[in-house]
Amino acid sequence: MTRGAIRVAMALAIGIAGATPAAALPTMIRIGYTNCAACHVAPQGGGVLTEYGQGIDQAQSLRGGELQRVQELHRRLIQDLRVVMQEQSTWTDRPMPNNFRPRLLYRNVTNLGAGFRLSGVATIEGASAPRPTKSYDPAARGSTLFVNSALVSYRPAKTLELDAGRDQLPSGVNVPSLGAYIRSRNRLGYYDAPTQLKMAWWGKRHQVMPYVYAPGGNEASGERESGAGTLAEFDLLGNQRTVVGASFLKGTARNGDRQMVGGYARLGFGRWGILAEHDVTDRTRTALAQSFTQNASFTQVFWAAREWLVLSGIGERLRVERPFLERRNAGQVELSARLAPQATIVLGTRLEKDLVTNRLAKSLILQMAFKTVY
Amino acid sequence: MAMHHCQQKCAAIAIAALVSTAATGIAAAQAPAGASTPVEVRGGTASFDVGTNVPALNVHGKSTSLEARGTIRPGANGPQLEQIEATVPVKTLATGMGLRDEHMRKYVFTTADGQTPDVKFSARQAACSKTGASQSTCDVTGDLSIRGTARPFSISLKVTEDRDSYRASGDGIVKLSAYGIPQPSQLGVHTDDEIKLRLEFTARPAPVATTGVRR
Repeated sequence: MTRGAIRVAMALAIGIAGATPAAALPTMIRIGYTNCAACHVAPQGGGVLTEYGQGIDQAQSLRGGELQRVQELHRRLIQDLRVVMQEQSTWTDRPMPNNFRPRLLYRNVTNLGAGFRLSGVATIEGASAPRPTKSYDPAARGSTLFVNSALVSYRPAKTLELDAGRDQLPSGVNVPSLGAYIRSRNRLGYYDAPTQLKMAWWGKRHQVMPYVYAPGGNEASGERESGAGTLAEFDLLGNQRTVVGASFLKGTARNGDRQMVGGYARLGFGRWGILAEHDVTDRTRTALAQSFTQNASFTQVFWAAREWLVLSGIGERLRVERPFLERRNAGQVELSARLAPQATIVLGTRLEKDLVTNRLAKSLILQMAFKTVY
Repeated sequence: MAMHHCQQKCAAIAIAALVSTAATGIAAAQAPAGASTPVEVRGGTASFDVGTNVPALNVHGKSTSLEARGTIRPGANGPQLEQIEATVPVKTLATGMGLRDEHMRKYVFTTADGQTPDVKFSARQAACSKTGASQSTCDVTGDLSIRGTARPFSISLKVTEDRDSYRASGDGIVKLSAYGIPQPSQLGVHTDDEIKLRLEFTARPAPVATTGVRR
């Protein structure tokens, strides 16, 4: 038995012994969840679930059943531990090492009353996973113990929230995969947690998230970016299944600036749906006379065979202009099984073609996420 | 021999088809003015949409098992509908989430003695007014029964004549409080009292029970 196989077997054993996902699930658009605020404490999505969200989480799992109402104390202090284990094997024409990445996340939301709350996510990890380092966009530095999010939030009204602290910047379709080009190539990697002030305002048919940001402190020298941006999305047909949005960002750093404009859509049709995003990023570098453009596209078609079992086909495209010429296409098939509120398993296979070098990379991905429910 | 067998069989089929055509009275337009044509609906769609106390969260549900019967009497100012009876089996209503469906049936449609009677609608008649060459608007007022309790209900239907059939769609409002049903609540999220109903269906001439040859 290879070491990789032993790790997979161990992870499966742990999975059987006990075990929830907690990443953003934009696929919930299929049954009318237009944004994240209904189920997640943070309107941006991801992280800890509200009590109602926990109920939905349980209802959408293979185990199913009803969530028992939590005690008042738990409504004030919500916390959990989450273990994520990812095994990725990649084959190209050159030997590639297997990548096993275990992470332990502690997540906490403390409601202070009068609309104020504190929230944070800290991760201890066995192997770092920085986004691809590019000479025009070096990856932010990771660490074994990393604070992904630390926010002070104030909700003056039911549909208005102000947040200050460090966190990932709001992003369009908000897919959980940080490896997607639309994320990894737009500074939305695992260690990108700028200091920021943001606002979320949402209603029956809209959501707007303007923000300003400053460096998080772990960026490479010269790459400490400050800027501003916004997301704005709208339920086109008012049926809660046709959300279209636009995102804008302008960032400035000593070594160069970037301006990003993106459009995205989340469409739901009952059992299936489509998530799509296209971002155009115009970059300047102080060492270059001219700017260059990056285009990143993402399309996911998903089908919920069962409430707990979702099959997805994903297509991605990346184009970067000279002098950093890159042309990549990727396709992925993914099966996500939510076994219980505490356990999710994702099995996927990915093909990525570098059209410049003509190199094809094949990957097999197994990810298991387990969390405690208090 | 084979020819003879075919002649017999083909004649029987032709007679059956003629009888069937005559019995169903296909093409209401061909019926004499003022004559009533029995029509039926099979596999119509009844959908609902209800808001909640959480912004941007509505609950949608749908059944594609709407069945109805009635008669249509063509008229110069539009058709007249009579003796309308419609049914939606509760078990066919689905929201896309199993647990939510269970809650809906339990909190909205189940009677005190544990029964879940079908949702029924009946109306004696409804007058329609022409809005185009083949289009009419029909204001239908009758009784909608939920949990076996009938309450007045009105819906405005847009009806389009298409050869021998009538396509109809319309919206109406149902208030849970009118039936004494509390707004369903789960983990702090509760629905509104007002529920928007939408009906979409095609009515076709109803086959009349015949005795004789059946294919």
